[in-house]
Amino acid sequence: MDSAVLLQSLVNGLMAGCIYILVAVGLALLLSVMGIVQLAHGEIYMLGGYLTYYFCSIAGLHYLLALLIATLLIGGVGILMEKVFFRPFRHGDLSPTVILSLGLMLMLQTTSVVSFGASTKVLTTPFPGVINVAGISLSNERLILILISIVFVAGLFLQKTEIGRTMRAVSQDMDAALLLGISVDRVSSFAMFLGCALAAVAGGLMGAIFSLSPFMGGFALMKGIAVIVLGGMGSIIGAVIGGLIIGLIDGIVPPLLSVEMASTIGFIVIILILLFRPQGIMGQPSK
Amino acid sequence: MSRKLVKPLSYSSLIIFLFLIPLFVTSPYYLHIFIMAGIGIILACSLRLIFNSGQFSMAHGGMMSIGAYTSALLMIKLGLSIWAAMGAGAAAAAVLALLVGYPLVRLKGIYFALGTVFLEEIIKLIAQQWTDLTGGVLGLTSIPKPNPIVIPGLLNINFASKVDFYYLALVLVLFTLLILYAIERSSINQTFCSIKQSDSLAQSVGVNTAKFKVLAFTVGCFFAGLAGAFYGQFMTVVTPSAFGFVYTVYIIVYMVVGGERKFYGPIIGAVILTFLPESVRVLKEYQPYVFAGVLMLVIFFLPEGLVSLPQRLKMFIRERRTHA
Repeated sequence: MDSAVLLQSLVNGLMAGCIYILVAVGLALLLSVMGIVQLAHGEIYMLGGYLTYYFCSIAGLHYLLALLIATLLIGGVGILMEKVFFRPFRHGDLSPTVILSLGLMLMLQTTSVVSFGASTKVLTTPFPGVINVAGISLSNERLILILISIVFVAGLFLQKTEIGRTMRAVSQDMDAALLLGISVDRVSSFAMFLGCALAAVAGGLMGAIFSLSPFMGGFALMKGIAVIVLGGMGSIIGAVIGGLIIGLIDGIVPPLLSVEMASTIGFIVIILILLFRPQGIMGQPSK
Repeated sequence: MSRKLVKPLSYSSLIIFLFLIPLFVTSPYYLHIFIMAGIGIILACSLRLIFNSGQFSMAHGGMMSIGAYTSALLMIKLGLSIWAAMGAGAAAAAVLALLVGYPLVRLKGIYFALGTVFLEEIIKLIAQQWTDLTGGVLGLTSIPKPNPIVIPGLLNINFASKVDFYYLALVLVLFTLLILYAIERSSINQTFCSIKQSDSLAQSVGVNTAKFKVLAFTVGCFFAGLAGAFYGQFMTVVTPSAFGFVYTVYIIVYMVVGGERKFYGPIIGAVILTFLPESVRVLKEYQPYVFAGVLMLVIFFLPEGLVSLPQRLKMFIRERRTHA
């Protein structure tokens, strides 16, 4: 593999990693704040992509504006979902929450097949052209995607805000947080808003590079789960590290072997790491 | 009639009735649904065994693939008979479960669940990759028909119609339920339940929790392999995506909607959730709504599953009476 291909696949890996991180951070937030495995998270990501597409193609908005509106809307949908569906199951047993989110997943997927059609849709690239760096051509859209994701993820770290602290308090001990006068309902709503919004960003970015289909959520969900398991559940730094590892595997392996081999290797790496560190790279050992 | 006789009599009449069903139901379409319900019962009940030992396994679809591919390949490449091939398929799933079981049970709770998700994905990806052996994405298509069972002058089952497959499915379901029920009533089940309630407490009183967890996982996966092997025979096609993540989740839904606390819960769940979506077949693309709707209603209003419905109704009526 010559250096040009290597660099190209590194950029691809970085891009994939960014998307995985955006999806995984949402999953990690919901898991730690509400104790819920959100299987419908992939569908939220898919909806984000479709909304961006429709705002661009039908309303004729600029891509970035469309992405922003779609993100906020999906965040709102998240708040609604938390209120209606997830609130009674907060920090409960595993199986009801899995079943519940599966029901949501089926409903959202069917709704989008019925309303958007099962065929794939392609968003015309908002940032055409390529940049030549040291003899290697990199497409603008991929670089901008990476940039946007870095901005969003960095935003999570830079703010040591009140809401961030309360979220951590709730994830450590919900009852104690309640005793201290934290509104667990509000914190959950916010976590759901943030998680869904980040997934929508990922979907909107992905839609601009690849195509959209009602079934794209399953892949994102699988990668997102892989990332949070690898990184350690409920740890945002872990999600970032895990996302980069999985993303780089997915970027570098395909030119050497095949796309499926990349996924296989990724899963085998995760299982091997889990055998020696069952709580993931940055996770706390379970009590 | 003494009360002691009621249960065995009603069970045996139910079984006789099930054997007579092909006399009333002749449409191949309905027999097909009956057979699919049977496969669902084997899967949901065997998954319940794994759940009862406190493990949330999501690898059942993957284990089904192992069973289906093993038995189909043995029949195609080595020309084994269906019985040997089905046994080998189930055994292959059990052996794999035993091998990966020990490392996997180190993972607790949700980590175990997600670890099994990856196991299933790996199985699917290998089935897609290893084109020489598994036929890649297109899968194995030319699975031979089961060898006919001939007892001269008495019986000639040649597996030409769905009726013969119905009987095979029925026998497999009864065999599975018999063994699972025997486990349910044995002392091993007590150990499983103690592990489910508190892993560390069971360990502290000297239970080798790893051993029992792997045992439950292995036995559960054996039946998943058996169901997969039968499925391959019945459909004559095995593809890598036939038993994916979504299929596994359907099995979990059968179990939870029926109610996993009772032995017969998963049976009820599998039967109802196989027949109900078929009843709205005209709506085709809206079919998942029915499935999703049922499971949402059950999760919100009957958290212990459909098996708790009669008890709930009884309580409701009693409350009404006392208030009136």
